[in-house]
Amino acid sequence: MNRTVVIVGSLIAFALVGVLFIGLGKNPAEIRSPLVGRPAPAFALREVGTGRTIDIAQFRGKPVIINFWATWCGPCWEEHPTLVANARQLGDNVQFVGVVFQDAEEKIQGFLNQRGTAYPTLVDQEGKTAIAYGVGGVPETYFLDRNGVIRAKYVGPMDSEILRANLTKATN
Amino acid sequence: MIPSLGRILILASLLVAAAGSLLGFVTGRTLSADGLKWARRFAYFYAALIILATLVMEYALLTHDFSVSYVAQVGSRLVPTWVTVVSLWSSLEGSILFWGFVLGSYILIATLFTKDRYQEYMPDAIGTWLGCATFFSFLIAGPANPFRTMSPIPADGPGPNPLLQNHLLMAIHPPFLYLGYVGMTIPFGFACAALIKGRLGHAILKPLRESLLLPWCFQSIAIMLGGWWAYEVLGWGGYWAWDPVENASLLPWLTATGALHSLLVVERRGILKGWTVTLVQSTFLLVLLGTFMTRSGVFNSVHSFTQSAIGPTILVFLAAMLIYTIALLALRIDKLEAEGRIESTASREAFFLLNNLVFVLLTFTVLIGTCFPLIVEAVRGKQMSVGRPYFDRMVVPLGTALLFLMGVGPALPWGRASKEQIRKSLLMPIITAGIFAVVGYIANVRHPWTLITIALGGYAIHVTFNQMFVPMIQRLRKGESAVTAFVEGQLLRGRRRFGSYVVHAAMIVVLVAIAVSSSMRQTAEVHLTKGQTQKVAGYDLTFTGIEDHQEPHRVSTIARFILARNGKQLAILEPRMNQYETMREPIGSPDVYTTIAGDFYVSIAALDPVSNSVAVNVYVTPMVGWIWIAVIVMGLGGVMALIPPRTPRAATANVGDSVAAETA
Repeated sequence: MNRTVVIVGSLIAFALVGVLFIGLGKNPAEIRSPLVGRPAPAFALREVGTGRTIDIAQFRGKPVIINFWATWCGPCWEEHPTLVANARQLGDNVQFVGVVFQDAEEKIQGFLNQRGTAYPTLVDQEGKTAIAYGVGGVPETYFLDRNGVIRAKYVGPMDSEILRANLTKATN
Repeated sequence: MIPSLGRILILASLLVAAAGSLLGFVTGRTLSADGLKWARRFAYFYAALIILATLVMEYALLTHDFSVSYVAQVGSRLVPTWVTVVSLWSSLEGSILFWGFVLGSYILIATLFTKDRYQEYMPDAIGTWLGCATFFSFLIAGPANPFRTMSPIPADGPGPNPLLQNHLLMAIHPPFLYLGYVGMTIPFGFACAALIKGRLGHAILKPLRESLLLPWCFQSIAIMLGGWWAYEVLGWGGYWAWDPVENASLLPWLTATGALHSLLVVERRGILKGWTVTLVQSTFLLVLLGTFMTRSGVFNSVHSFTQSAIGPTILVFLAAMLIYTIALLALRIDKLEAEGRIESTASREAFFLLNNLVFVLLTFTVLIGTCFPLIVEAVRGKQMSVGRPYFDRMVVPLGTALLFLMGVGPALPWGRASKEQIRKSLLMPIITAGIFAVVGYIANVRHPWTLITIALGGYAIHVTFNQMFVPMIQRLRKGESAVTAFVEGQLLRGRRRFGSYVVHAAMIVVLVAIAVSSSMRQTAEVHLTKGQTQKVAGYDLTFTGIEDHQEPHRVSTIARFILARNGKQLAILEPRMNQYETMREPIGSPDVYTTIAGDFYVSIAALDPVSNSVAVNVYVTPMVGWIWIAVIVMGLGGVMALIPPRTPRAATANVGDSVAAETA
């Protein structure tokens, strides 16, 4: 029995398999936001259609789901029905807000007319809000608790299951 | 019907592989001739079953049989036939089936070629091969089953990942990679058998070397094809990003290259046996690691398949194989006795040892860089990524060291070199190195590492050509005609030696081309409206307009440019954006104008059909094309070294030069 082989071999093997094992089950695409656990950046933006300004602070007191999207983004189309359906189901218990950036207002209006909506959609004309939230691409969704603190962030299109799972983090 | 047929074939292959593996290992103990005969039969039978299962899947794909789950997942009536054929390896389940197919083919060939030979080692080798086959059949039968029945049967499918449909290189890169990766199972089997027997005799060296060299050739070409594909498709003007999965393909290549060299030392001097066996086994383990990396979803990469349940299964197999290897090495490595020792540091074997150390260092460097983000996340809970700077800082000096060794090693004789020999063989190439450095400087190379690389490249190429033609020169001195001397000395008798030095020469070109292309790239971001011209790195780029092109499975928006220099039109460049029906965002396809000196590469950043304007990224990179060509030459050199030298009709003829001619 060659001891060196056993010791060196086991060290390498344990380290390698250990590291890989810990890595299992993690989604490398899931990027943790430094904003999670912090108060959500404040913003007040114009609503598509009505033109009135909506301040995010006015929804304090109930969980808020902020969904960043755009009409030029395919996955956002996919996700849209999920958002609308959940917004209808959850009703007044949770506030949904859509924030559109890098887009034209008439396109957004056309999109909403055609596909329906159940919550306010705001236009982030200069993209400042998206930058404040550190949005890397659309769709991205932030889950705020009733005190306006970000509790979860999700990158990519959600299905109902993912949406509800993240929402739980904001309601607990 | 087809799903059941596929499942039956896979289950049968699982049973046959398991039984054959068991029989192989038992026969390894009893050494019964009948046992070996049956182990071989099981190997053939396994190969037949898994190959047949793959053909059944290919048939289902081509006939759009959407009752098969894998066809429903990747098939589409809209895509061209070649895309349908290659969809076999475009997604997780199919790619594992394809793995089985390649493994079956390798086992078939290896078993056929070793008929009536290496009796002592074969039972354990077959046992190991079929053991690996058992695992992969298990994967196909269970966690990655592509033959599930669809109900209800869909009318059409989405087609394979558009990135894979976007370029023909994608059709050939994966098969080459599999031929490289999977092929490493065969030398692993021989190495394990040698350990089990406690003997690495002279006889087993030949099949070990050949079975390592063949997948090595494929692997070399596969890595290059991957880089080439990334360059032609991904639009960032580069060919290597130290992406975890690129690293995964490089790791076994590094250890395999090391092993090919240390095998020569075993052959010539009877030393480094345990070390060589360890390298061969590490190669296979790194192949498994690479498979885990691509299939587990743990690493973020263009190559990753989506997260899947087979990750843990592969990890368990990797762990089992690690334990098997470590146990074998621990129990038997001391039995592989050295028949000599390294006599002098100024000898070829000493430089082989150094070369091996550099390859192992490179392997660890890349491995640690690849796994580091996982370690950091596990320990500190922070996400991070290891980028280019780490790899460049670590790998560039090691690569340069390799170039140095490639220059000095072959110039030294085996055993012990006299001072006179050393001076004679090492001084002359310095002149070539100087000439290369001066030429590089005149061609505007100012980066110190690049200049060093070019100079060392000159040194190494001098030595390589010197060594390459030794047999031919010996024959010429004896008064043979140039043609006979070349054909007999280089192509027939000295083929192995000639092939090896062709590989060296090509590798030198690759290293220099990598150094030049990565340090001397010019980039520019260009905005043009229709009819406008802009000067980029001495070229005139004129934008002539946008055009849409409709195909059944995609819509392409093409931006057309005229590339000219000094008023002379050189090429029409057509970078495009391809929009696939199933894909959210369009995929860019850059266009490249290639010359010997370098590439002019245009990739679309943004298009506006309304104002007829376009924004493109332009990359002007010297010597890129050399890499692709040199790697193909490298593969061919490897194949040349693989074809056994013709045995001379009269064994006594030319005994004098046969030693020099047949071994490098």
